[in-house]
Amino acid sequence: MIGIAAGGPVIPNFGGGSASFACERANRLFCAGWVSRNWDTVLWPALRQHIVLTVIAVAIGFVISTALALVAYRRNWLERPVLIVTSILYTIPSLALFELLQPSFGLSRTTAEIALVSYTLLIMFRNTLTGLREVPPEVRDAATGMGMGPTQSLLRVELPLAAPAIIAGLRIATVTVISLATVAALIDNEGLGVPILTAISNEVFKTELIVAGAMAVALAIGADALLVLAQRLITPWTRAR
Amino acid sequence: MNVFVEAFKFIGRNGQIPGAPPFPTLTHLTLETLKIAGIGIGIAVAIGLPIGLWLGHVHRGSFAAINVGNIWRALPSLAVLAIGVAFLGLGLRNVELALVVLAVPPIITNAYVAIDGVERDVVDAARGMGMTGLQVLLKVELPLGIPLIFAGIRTSALFVVSTTTIAALTGYSGSLGDIINNETSYHLSGVLGAAICIAALALVVELVLAMVQRLLTPKGLKVSTAEDTVSSLAPVVTEPT
Amino acid sequence: MIRRHRYRAVATALAMLSAAALAACGSSSSSSSSKSTAAAPTSSTATNGSPAAAASGPGVGKPPVTVGDKNFEEEFVLGSLYAQALAAKGYKVTVKGNIGSSEITYKALKAGQIDMYPEYTGTLLSAVAGVTTPPHSAQQAYAEAKAFAEKNGFTLLDQTPFYDSDALGALKAYAQAHGLTSDADLKKLGKSVKLGGAPEFATRYEGLIGLKKAYGDNPTFVPLAIGLTYKALDTGQVQVSDVFTTDPQLTTHKYVVLVDPKKIFGFQNVAPIVSKKVVAAEGPAFADTINKVSALLTIPAIQKMNAAVALDQQSPDAVARQFLQANGLL
Repeated sequence: MIGIAAGGPVIPNFGGGSASFACERANRLFCAGWVSRNWDTVLWPALRQHIVLTVIAVAIGFVISTALALVAYRRNWLERPVLIVTSILYTIPSLALFELLQPSFGLSRTTAEIALVSYTLLIMFRNTLTGLREVPPEVRDAATGMGMGPTQSLLRVELPLAAPAIIAGLRIATVTVISLATVAALIDNEGLGVPILTAISNEVFKTELIVAGAMAVALAIGADALLVLAQRLITPWTRAR
Repeated sequence: MNVFVEAFKFIGRNGQIPGAPPFPTLTHLTLETLKIAGIGIGIAVAIGLPIGLWLGHVHRGSFAAINVGNIWRALPSLAVLAIGVAFLGLGLRNVELALVVLAVPPIITNAYVAIDGVERDVVDAARGMGMTGLQVLLKVELPLGIPLIFAGIRTSALFVVSTTTIAALTGYSGSLGDIINNETSYHLSGVLGAAICIAALALVVELVLAMVQRLLTPKGLKVSTAEDTVSSLAPVVTEPT
Repeated sequence: MIRRHRYRAVATALAMLSAAALAACGSSSSSSSSKSTAAAPTSSTATNGSPAAAASGPGVGKPPVTVGDKNFEEEFVLGSLYAQALAAKGYKVTVKGNIGSSEITYKALKAGQIDMYPEYTGTLLSAVAGVTTPPHSAQQAYAEAKAFAEKNGFTLLDQTPFYDSDALGALKAYAQAHGLTSDADLKKLGKSVKLGGAPEFATRYEGLIGLKKAYGDNPTFVPLAIGLTYKALDTGQVQVSDVFTTDPQLTTHKYVVLVDPKKIFGFQNVAPIVSKKVVAAEGPAFADTINKVSALLTIPAIQKMNAAVALDQQSPDAVARQFLQANGLL
């Protein structure tokens, strides 16, 4: 049953021997060698997955919260129930929410996305609704006076004026999701949380932890900047302030 | 859905598994979680509140105060905890340090915005009445700023409760997160039971702080409509955890 | 007026509901004072993915196979070794890495989410089969484990020359100061000694339960992530910890491994557990390839590979690839 190959196995000098890994063995703050060796296999895929996770969650959350806000804009009574539900979802700690979804949706991206979407709803719903409500009544009257129906007024006047608030909500939601998606790695083994958790289990391998953490922060700041840029493009009139 | 029934039975048994060695009770773990979170919040408020209040009072440091909030939102709490473990090791003091670092920014930002935003006329009137700077801060600006200040404290509190459970992922044991990490021993029903407890804990903390806020809000500011009840569930400047 | 009351009622109901749930979580009853709480889970190092299948070989045309591995680095290396060796023979392999402890990984096997995974014979017996009388030799462990597997629709392929059992390790200084040479010596320290281990250690015979039953040890259990063991020992967070005998850190002589005279940690050679149907469907070259890999895994070989992964932070896939290439299997 136990057979040993004649003469024993050939044991190569892995990676060139331990001398090539002095930085890793010492667990220094930043081992450039490790980063370049593992960029393609560990870091870049993690970043890519993280971006995908975020974009899907924010996009779906945006659609749902905008739809809810538009309906609540017309039917005021809807606001409070929506606020209550989204607030509760928002309050539940992410770890708990991921676990509560697990029996129904398994250890999959679906579970992660559902939880991440639910964290975007409160912020975006509230901001969109507030933004719409803050459109001055005179402007709405003017639009009606010009012959626009309610839908036209919405599309051509009210939504554009509410855009800064809507995008502010989008910014907060995006940055929040990017941060929370690191915990989602527990559920679907994807995203920048994977190298972070790996590093923790490796006697806290500092390089991997710091690089992955820094990438998450950079991603958040980058996404935020992109959205600010988008807002300036969409609402050029707000630039003069 | 059967697993949810089992989860409630697990809660009913106070976290014990029949046939297994005695585990720490849910009571104990919940109280421990509260204790760790409480210490973190307490220190964060003690540090952040005076800073935010003072900066707002003298109307200085707006760039720092606001941007520390923006950067903070981008920090993945999992990474911050892990970095704490990496450089300081495991142990309660180190977890508290990470929690405080994570909890302070929203308190500063909100306290700053709250005090800075008090109408100049009111402040001038108070000075005109002969109040010193400190008296103005304590008797006029602070009471008027309660809603926003508390929004920051509530954000922080929720954040700390949630991050305390995530701390179990970084090697720190002693909170409800431990059960979630040990599906092998507790089975999915136990993990769900712990998740339900965490969610309930967060909701209770939120409601308690909302009630404290209502008590402290000066009568003139209290708007007694249903709006009030709902906004006590949904704080103003918040981050999910 | 009515609306205000209605929404206040909702808020109150919610408050009562969450308070009730919380009260249930916090209801006082006889509380155990043991400090054991579970700790950090495992990380996810193993790449979920598939090594590219070779264009020719006995595996071409055979149904795809999913290899799983458990939640620590030695398993990642093993899973990668088998996966890459199979892919080189033309098999279409997918790796599902870092599934969890034995108990959880076996469940995945039973559920058909994976077709095989590398298992430790002793752990299969004690943690999965629930056998309480430990076997007396590696051969007996293998035979009994194989019998259990076959009763459940699986089989065990050849076992490796190397074995990797759990053991208790401590810093040399601590062991000398307290006269610790064997697991039995912990009894006299009672609850004053903090023992760290993976969360599942608390409920396993190859763990706390066996220590209590066989040696009368009653330490304070501190759950730890598998990868944080040595850090916890070094910083004094625990005085004794569950270690693996092939851990590269043990070669530094900083730590003392306690002897296990009653062999509660069992005999732990690795043998891939595979579904019988898959073995049949994949053809004879399948088992043959896997056995060829297993035959090469001596203790020095696995220790060097563990060192490359754990200390040098090389990726398990790269280490496995280099080993297979050096031995002509890739």
